[in-house]
Amino acid sequence: MTRISLGRAVLRGTVSTALMVSLMSASALAAPVDLSKWSPEYVRSIAGTQDFDTAGDCGKVTPLDYKGRLTFWYQGVFEGDPDLLRQYYKEFFETFRKTYPNIQLEEQALTYNDLLDKFRTALLGNAAPMAVRLQILGGTEFAAKGYLEPLKPEDVGYSTEDFWPGAMKAVTWEGTTYGIPTNNETMAFIWNADIFKRAGLDPDKAPATWDDVVKYSKQIHDKLGVAGYGLVARKNAGNTPYRFMPQLWAYGGGVFDEATANPTYKEVQLDSPQSKAALQASYDMYVRDKSVPVSALTNQQADNQPLFLAGQLGMMISHPSDYNVMLDLQKKTTGSDKDKAQTVIDNMRYGLIPTGPDGKRAVVFGGSNIHILKPEYVEGGKVDEPAAKAIICMWTSPEWSLKMAYAGSNPGNLNGFKTKWMKERLDSIKFLDVTTSMLPYGIPFPALPQSPEIMNIIIPDMLQNALTGAMSVDQAADDAANKVKALMDGGL
Amino acid sequence: MSTIAETTHRRLTHRRMRIDGWRWGGRIFLVFMLLYTALPMIWMLITSIKSGFAAMQFPPQWWPDQPTLDSYQKLLDPQNSVGQDFLRFFWNSLFVSTATTILSVIVAVPAAYAFSRFTFPGRNFLFFAVLLRNMFPAVIFLVPLFILMRAVGLVNTHGSLVLTYLTFGLPLAIWLLKGFYDNIPVQLEQAARIDGATRFQAFLLIVMPLSAPGIIATAIYSFIGAWNEYIYAYTFLSKNEQLTLPVGIQRFFSENTTDFPGLMAASFMMSVPVVVLFLVLQRYFVRALTEGAVKH
Repeated sequence: MTRISLGRAVLRGTVSTALMVSLMSASALAAPVDLSKWSPEYVRSIAGTQDFDTAGDCGKVTPLDYKGRLTFWYQGVFEGDPDLLRQYYKEFFETFRKTYPNIQLEEQALTYNDLLDKFRTALLGNAAPMAVRLQILGGTEFAAKGYLEPLKPEDVGYSTEDFWPGAMKAVTWEGTTYGIPTNNETMAFIWNADIFKRAGLDPDKAPATWDDVVKYSKQIHDKLGVAGYGLVARKNAGNTPYRFMPQLWAYGGGVFDEATANPTYKEVQLDSPQSKAALQASYDMYVRDKSVPVSALTNQQADNQPLFLAGQLGMMISHPSDYNVMLDLQKKTTGSDKDKAQTVIDNMRYGLIPTGPDGKRAVVFGGSNIHILKPEYVEGGKVDEPAAKAIICMWTSPEWSLKMAYAGSNPGNLNGFKTKWMKERLDSIKFLDVTTSMLPYGIPFPALPQSPEIMNIIIPDMLQNALTGAMSVDQAADDAANKVKALMDGGL
Repeated sequence: MSTIAETTHRRLTHRRMRIDGWRWGGRIFLVFMLLYTALPMIWMLITSIKSGFAAMQFPPQWWPDQPTLDSYQKLLDPQNSVGQDFLRFFWNSLFVSTATTILSVIVAVPAAYAFSRFTFPGRNFLFFAVLLRNMFPAVIFLVPLFILMRAVGLVNTHGSLVLTYLTFGLPLAIWLLKGFYDNIPVQLEQAARIDGATRFQAFLLIVMPLSAPGIIATAIYSFIGAWNEYIYAYTFLSKNEQLTLPVGIQRFFSENTTDFPGLMAASFMMSVPVVVLFLVLQRYFVRALTEGAVKH
């Protein structure tokens, strides 16, 4: 217990200091939530301090008796997601229909890895929905191609300062804002305390650096015969960059200079010695030590989770929702399995994502954004803008941006942290403060139209080239850098 | 020194033993192959009766400590949102596959007959041309077909799927049936014509019954192709109430987690109609496959 408390105190101190430094230069100092004071304690102190009238606020944007029709696509929550999250999604659409009874809403939930491709095809056939909620990686691509209408928080009754500056970067292309963040996710480092203990590691202490991750992974594998770290290298799956980029940035590398305060995205840095060191760490774990799942080349996080829950994987990067998934599974289990599930729950530990050799800590600033399409790309050639703004206002409100991110993420609207639901959440969801604490270390993917290709294809390709031995680490990094250069020059 | 009879007897015994050895080897090989091919189905069934936690255990529970039918109950309960969706997706798939099958047979039967019995300019070229569509990966046609369907107002209708499935189901159906008609002696039709039947009557009363196994095999083939298709269904349909089973089943995968027992139960339920169809009609299917082996 003492160790956990000490660990938490260190975590809080580290986070507060890092936040002070990283946010002093942020343009959001005048935000309704004072980011310069951001820390787990601060989040707790503001939680539950303000009430919001969602229907009243959105009624000012689109009158509540407005009559219209809206088609809307979003990345849905499905059977594997925590019950809590599915319940909130259901309630959201019920509430929207009650609040705007005269808007005929046709919503379509799509799966995570298929949404972008389906949306692209629909755009080519001018059959897109009027509004869409896309993972953060997609927005700029579609804005740059001219598919999206300009849309900023002020258009739905909020202020740009109500949203994280990093999140706003991802919806801005050539100075114009094309969407509004619905949620901001930063993940955490999760480990199994029992595996750590049996492998001779401190069960309550996360690896401090990525070099430690490599070392711990080997130690776990060598001593227990199970996989150490949950490497993910599947091609064309969002999970891969979300797990590799924190490692790349921590070593001081990058695709460009996206990890700096004011990125220009001019110079490709995938072939820098720092980027190569990050790739080398993955190579060491997969090829040299064989300490990660051998299926990492085809795995996504959904494949790591069962391994972790079965005690076959020591460490992974994921959301607080994994803890909730585990609680759900335990609830639905009977007999001796219930006790086994409880053991897994008792051994789950969350900590900050490790740093690089120079103390850099990073995580992908992820999440989703909501957009309105231009009429020419929409089925029927018409966009009901007031109806679209009504749903966007509601989804990005303090209330619903918090509830829709309840189990696994953070509200896009910073005022969500002030709601009573945030307080309830902090009390009921274990480890939430850890992922909230990672927010200041969040680095958005480069806000470029080429980002989906870079993150979902080129980066996983680089990993696969190195890990399969098709290329050396140096060659794979150089090859990836050349591909990015060619892509930026209009090639590939 | 052994007599000739003894030597012959020894040789025969040795030969018999060798044959028996081969037989046993063949049987063992068949059992192995049976297990090899059935194992995924067996594992699917076992996983579907596990709890979510038990499905993630390693080493795996070969038989669950606490078997449960929760996943099936959820899928078949029309009061539950999962059940409502699943049953709707099931009926949608059944409708699309049945419609595709019926249309496929209606078009393929006369087309194949025409290719088999009539000579007309460009017959050989046309016969090979119908297969062209199947020589390219389905994904190549995705965007063009989507734009086409959108232009004729068929996006978000099951009609778009039926038409699309016909484009890749029909060519093989025509080829399959043509081979079948080729093996039905033309003299039988001629005899019927001499007895006063029209060409259509001869086709309907003589050729059709004889080609029943081929037609059934074609129907099964069309049904299975349409029943399992995913990418066109995923692209063309964007309304929840219209989705088909292969698309609906994807909902057991989430961003970071998978409901394995639910997925396996749904997959098992999805395979039931195909298995039943095959079991009921398999003798026709086997006949259709072997019919061409012996020339009439």
